[in-house]
Amino acid sequence: MENTKIIDLVRRVSETRDEIAFSEIFDFIAPKINAYFIKNNLSIEQSEELTQEVLSTIWVKAELFNPEKSKFITWSFTIARNKKIDFYRKNKKNDVNEEDIRDFLYENNKQDDFETESIINKITQELDQNQKKLIKMSFFEQKSHKNISEELEIPIGTVKSRIRASLNKMQKHI
Amino acid sequence: MNTTAQKNELIFGYSSGNLGEAKSLFTSMYLYLNTFAAKKASIFENMLAQNFSELEGVKPKKLKFTDCIKNPNVNKDIPNSATNPVSRIVGNLNNINWKTIYNGFKEYNIPVNDKDSVKLIKMDPGTSVPLHSHNGKEYILVLEGSFCDEYGEYNKGDMQINDQQIKHNPTACKDDGCVCLSITENDVVFFGKFGSILNLFTFIKSFFK
Repeated sequence: MENTKIIDLVRRVSETRDEIAFSEIFDFIAPKINAYFIKNNLSIEQSEELTQEVLSTIWVKAELFNPEKSKFITWSFTIARNKKIDFYRKNKKNDVNEEDIRDFLYENNKQDDFETESIINKITQELDQNQKKLIKMSFFEQKSHKNISEELEIPIGTVKSRIRASLNKMQKHI
Repeated sequence: MNTTAQKNELIFGYSSGNLGEAKSLFTSMYLYLNTFAAKKASIFENMLAQNFSELEGVKPKKLKFTDCIKNPNVNKDIPNSATNPVSRIVGNLNNINWKTIYNGFKEYNIPVNDKDSVKLIKMDPGTSVPLHSHNGKEYILVLEGSFCDEYGEYNKGDMQINDQQIKHNPTACKDDGCVCLSITENDVVFFGKFGSILNLFTFIKSFFK
């Protein structure tokens, strides 16, 4: 879906609580969010539960989305990522009752995402398919170096050095 | 030592959400104070979001959009993004119950659920820390004022990462001292005149952990 169309839908949700607009947002983003949780090794049930939480957050906090600062896709990705952190925290045995300080963080990225777009394009052009895949597995799917090495059948040292090399390539542009 | 790579590791770990509480708080504060670091985080977040937008969707089986509208469990609180992340947790830095470690040097441990510990350090103008190195890594972020050591001067928003190879003797700036946020992965090893006493102190302290 076009970013301009989604911006209009989110605006309708925040201004008039438009449920039809929300259903369109749901159809567009819910399958991606669900797929993200499944990719991060959560069960089908857990993934749907978390997807519900993310979509509910989008529904109640639609007015927090600032289309001048970020893309809708990035905004919803950060909400999904935070729900995932929360989920793992609640499932750690020792600290069920403790409040996680990370609830207080995350909202303070004051950056304008559009300013960085050209840099991102340069970086993605420079990284080859293998490097992009490693970054994706390591940071997006949060697989350990060991799991990556097993899955791709390359030595763990190679995984580490390739990730480091990709990060260094990125560093040149930022 | 490649400090830039280590700083990036923190920033990228933060963007992908795989840091513990201590490092999350630390990095969040770093991004709050340091525009350049915040820009890097934004770049990395957008790259991860690109992976997200390219994902082939998996349609939820049971979930419908109406379930999301009628979800009573959702948190409606909107955090105040104008306050810095550390103050949101510990309140105003001036009203903290500091613990004096020695003359001119105070600490405040921020309670976190993490294997790493995170604390605030306040040094009066001109106070210095005896020459020491670190068993594990130490991350220091300047929140107010400045300090200098053998490697340079560090001002508000600057971060220093120290490991086993680094021995240093930081001194708070003469005009207004400094307040720092610090993470230690392991205890510090001291050298010099007072070194053995301080090492003994950390050794004894380790029994009470």
